[in-house]
Amino acid sequence: MNSSYGLLSPRGQALIFAALVLLIFTAFPFAWMASTALKPSREIFVTPPTLWPTQVTLDNLSRLFAETRFLTYFHNSLTVSFATVGLTLLVSVPAAYGLTRFRFQGRETIAGLILFTYMFAPIMIIIPFYVVMRFLGLTNTHIGLILAYTAFCLPFSLWLLRTFFQSIPLEIEEAAMIDGTRVQAVIYVVLPLALPGVVATGTFTFVLAWNDYIFARVLLSADELKTLPVGIADLYNASVVDWGMIMAAGLLVIAPVAAVFVFIQKFLVAGWGSGGVKG
Amino acid sequence: MAGGGRALSEPLPSVGSEPFRLPEAAVGILLILPAILLLLLLTLYPVLYGVWISFFNKHAFFPQQTFVGFDNYAFLLRDPEFWAAVWRGTVYALSTIVLQIILGVAAALLLNELFPGRNILRAIVIFPYVVPTVVAVIIWKWLLNSQFGLINYFIETAGLVDQPVSFMGKDWIMISLIIVSVWQFFPFVVIGVLARLQTIPEELYDAAKVDGGNAWQRFVHVTLPQLKSVLFVIVLLRSIWMFTKFDTPWLMIQGGGAETYIRTLPIYTYMRTFAYYEAGLGSAMAVVMFLALAGAATLYFRIWRREENL
Repeated sequence: MNSSYGLLSPRGQALIFAALVLLIFTAFPFAWMASTALKPSREIFVTPPTLWPTQVTLDNLSRLFAETRFLTYFHNSLTVSFATVGLTLLVSVPAAYGLTRFRFQGRETIAGLILFTYMFAPIMIIIPFYVVMRFLGLTNTHIGLILAYTAFCLPFSLWLLRTFFQSIPLEIEEAAMIDGTRVQAVIYVVLPLALPGVVATGTFTFVLAWNDYIFARVLLSADELKTLPVGIADLYNASVVDWGMIMAAGLLVIAPVAAVFVFIQKFLVAGWGSGGVKG
Repeated sequence: MAGGGRALSEPLPSVGSEPFRLPEAAVGILLILPAILLLLLLTLYPVLYGVWISFFNKHAFFPQQTFVGFDNYAFLLRDPEFWAAVWRGTVYALSTIVLQIILGVAAALLLNELFPGRNILRAIVIFPYVVPTVVAVIIWKWLLNSQFGLINYFIETAGLVDQPVSFMGKDWIMISLIIVSVWQFFPFVVIGVLARLQTIPEELYDAAKVDGGNAWQRFVHVTLPQLKSVLFVIVLLRSIWMFTKFDTPWLMIQGGGAETYIRTLPIYTYMRTFAYYEAGLGSAMAVVMFLALAGAATLYFRIWRREENL
């Protein structure tokens, strides 16, 4: 096996070296965060710094739970993110199916318009959005935030799902419809085939809602409603920065994202792998 | 595009359980309606409303507003801080885009080669892009900390500097911001380019080898032309997103005194609206941002088309 890599050739060595550089550049900051999070307070500031904690402690974590509202923020983030995924898929799966399988006037125009709304960055819509939400009495509510995320995720979600539905051969669906109704064909044939696409879309939506800062910052002001990104930013802005606690918080925030990604890997590969994997 | 443009053939033998049948088009429209309504209500309407209030002197919290015509826009033209913010935003966006593309393409080329641990590295490289911005920023603020930061420790012990560098100070904050942003966003380029690299037929390289091209020539004459279309899309999306990037610079500003040195246009827009409560002026800036981007995007498409036709 090893010989096929040609590890001992100069080219092989250069590859390994470049891979190590890339690994350190992307992964080391996370490792340093984890290391800091697991160190006792005095070890955090020693010179020379210890890359591997000489004494592993969960002190920072317990302080995070005891002294801050971290668990409340965590709960809020979970609620809002899952509700956003649910609402986005509920609206965009039928729409994407409708866009690919039914012929009607203006269909292409609608598809184009959807792509166009993709261009709006949060900063460009946040001001009028805030005014509208305030008028509707939805500022400082999770519902307002969920609506904001759904609106923001819809364009790319529709676009992504549309390409997945397009890649399902019509013949399969037509064959299924001969044996049953269209609804049955959709439930038993189309949706299972589109599942990788639905899962991928749901994942991207979740990550977007989970990571967002600006909408939550602007729309929420009550502390007990805040989501994690805003809660952590405020924790950082507190007078004296407690680095151990901040890093512990960071570690816990990325944990669900990491878990989702490990779980999702095979679906993503299924989505991207249509080009075939080399080697 | 397998069958994308074709609708299911209409009359199929068994549609049994349905008591009556809606016309094809009606079903399609019904399925799309909720999505369209949400988009109209929550994206298109606010955008148009934003254009509307840019002509008013409007408080961000209170309902009162007075029509001022183009006054907000005229004010921006005369506002030196606006132009300074445009300049800072341009420096920030252009430098991060160039660095992301270079680093992203290089990393994708590497990850397309065969070496042990490649698949794990592919997963790890994507990670900075999927973590919340606030996490990326606090990690780097800790690494770049002037008193206890690891990077300062390394460059000091290596003898590169005599004194700790104040990375969040006025001389360095833009560079620090660029480093964080490139680290955070280059994986997007990797994903797109890597997906495309995997579809380049091996025969193209074999032919180039027969012709005696070296690695660099193969990259320039085989790989790069194949990457052109995907890079076009990546540059477009990354430009839109970097010019309108709010959270990374905003969170970098927090807790430091050098905020004015990275006050890009999105930051200035936010401050005018939510710190000075000038929603009308803030909206005018958002409109200007949109028009500038739309104009640039159109120009970009034009140039691209012309290139393609050559």
